[in-house]
Amino acid sequence: MNYLPAKDRDMEQKLQDEAKSLLEQERVDYIIGFEPGSLKFTTTPLITKNKDDVDRLVITPFIVNNLSVYLTEVKGRVGIVAKGCDSRSIVSLIQDNKVVRENVVIIGIPCPGLIDLKKVERLVGKDRDELDDITRNGDRVIVTVDGKGREFPIAEVLYDNCLGCEFPTPQEYDVLIGESALLVTDFTASRQKVETLEGMSQQQRWEFWKEEFDRCIRCYACRNVCPACFCQRCFVEESEPQWVLPVPRWQDNLIFQVVRNIHVAGRCTDCGACERSCPMNIPLRNLARKTYDIVGELFHYQAGMDKEASPLLTAYEVEEAEDFFR
Amino acid sequence: MEQELQWEPRVVGFLCRWCSYAGADLAGTSRKKYPANIKIIKVPCSGRVDPLFIIKALRLGFDGVLVSGCHPGDCHYQTGNYYARRRITITKKFLEYIGIDPQRIQASWVSASEGGKFAGVVSEVTKGIREVGPNELFAGER
Repeated sequence: MNYLPAKDRDMEQKLQDEAKSLLEQERVDYIIGFEPGSLKFTTTPLITKNKDDVDRLVITPFIVNNLSVYLTEVKGRVGIVAKGCDSRSIVSLIQDNKVVRENVVIIGIPCPGLIDLKKVERLVGKDRDELDDITRNGDRVIVTVDGKGREFPIAEVLYDNCLGCEFPTPQEYDVLIGESALLVTDFTASRQKVETLEGMSQQQRWEFWKEEFDRCIRCYACRNVCPACFCQRCFVEESEPQWVLPVPRWQDNLIFQVVRNIHVAGRCTDCGACERSCPMNIPLRNLARKTYDIVGELFHYQAGMDKEASPLLTAYEVEEAEDFFR
Repeated sequence: MEQELQWEPRVVGFLCRWCSYAGADLAGTSRKKYPANIKIIKVPCSGRVDPLFIIKALRLGFDGVLVSGCHPGDCHYQTGNYYARRRITITKKFLEYIGIDPQRIQASWVSASEGGKFAGVVSEVTKGIREVGPNELFAGER
């Protein structure tokens, strides 16, 4: 049995009841949610049609995956657990005609921000396996090590993207579990790494990314966890012409990321899944966040806010940014 | 004695089949002079230009990229160039953030009757890219 931190039992019960009734009433064929993971504190996606499995559903500060990525793969009607950013990804998929709204029952979770275990480890100087407990209490977090609790402001352990979250409560949902969440934000901290890069010279930025992408092993985890990356056939796998070599060289790795990010412009909700999935710790969110900001600045567009709206790249205004066109 | 060859900018031009390509043709038939630094690739519409084409051209060692299509409102497919405009604008901004000189990514609207404009655009673009210098971004192993 896995250890899970103390959490809101009430919310979890409500979620399980809701999921069970959805399956029992045959309103959905599948439930997609989170269950305890095999490693301490972590959670893993649960996809089930069995109503007995729903007792395993959990809500913790570690439900990091953006589950909407499964919507394009799971056939039939689906009940899906969604945080604020996930719900925007679902809306974005609806905009792209990848998901039919009627086939999805969105079980919204007002999200107070997710806890970054790496930040916790750095704060207390211990490996996650040595920690007894991590409990959130409003805007504080209590980390118990060797029976002693140490308290920190929650902002110090939340993911960078969560610190910049504008919509913690799902924008689109059928059922909302719990009240709207207490969100602690720090927009400066959230954008800090991007700003540092913006402050560098062009040459420095190029060197920075060159070095980062030298590490990339092209496992495509970032692509596979991304709900906005839904192409049937990705350009990196095309062979006629072969745009990039399958061998992970920094040049081709960089091209892959550049094109991936531009392709998901207007679909990316800054959920942070790409960066979390990277086994080589490449700061991919620095790219995702920048794209998100560019889209906001130039076209005043935010991904996944309106399911009736045209996707950013398939829409236009007659008069808009074109200052450099000759 | 072997003389070192002077560097000349190499620019890829993605020209839309309906306007800019015809504009380039007109520049030729009307004997307008423009730099031979541009290598033209005909595309069905400026909307066909994937950001991938732009970065791939730079990867192959080209010093700059020009995307040219019909004037807004004149697209043969009604709206292709509007989509292109959004895409290229985002691409240019994003590549600048990665560390690529935005001067290397150029765009223009040239109609089929604007042979003179096309010659002018190519001259300006070539001049701009000459100032930026050779593209050594991906230098080293190819």
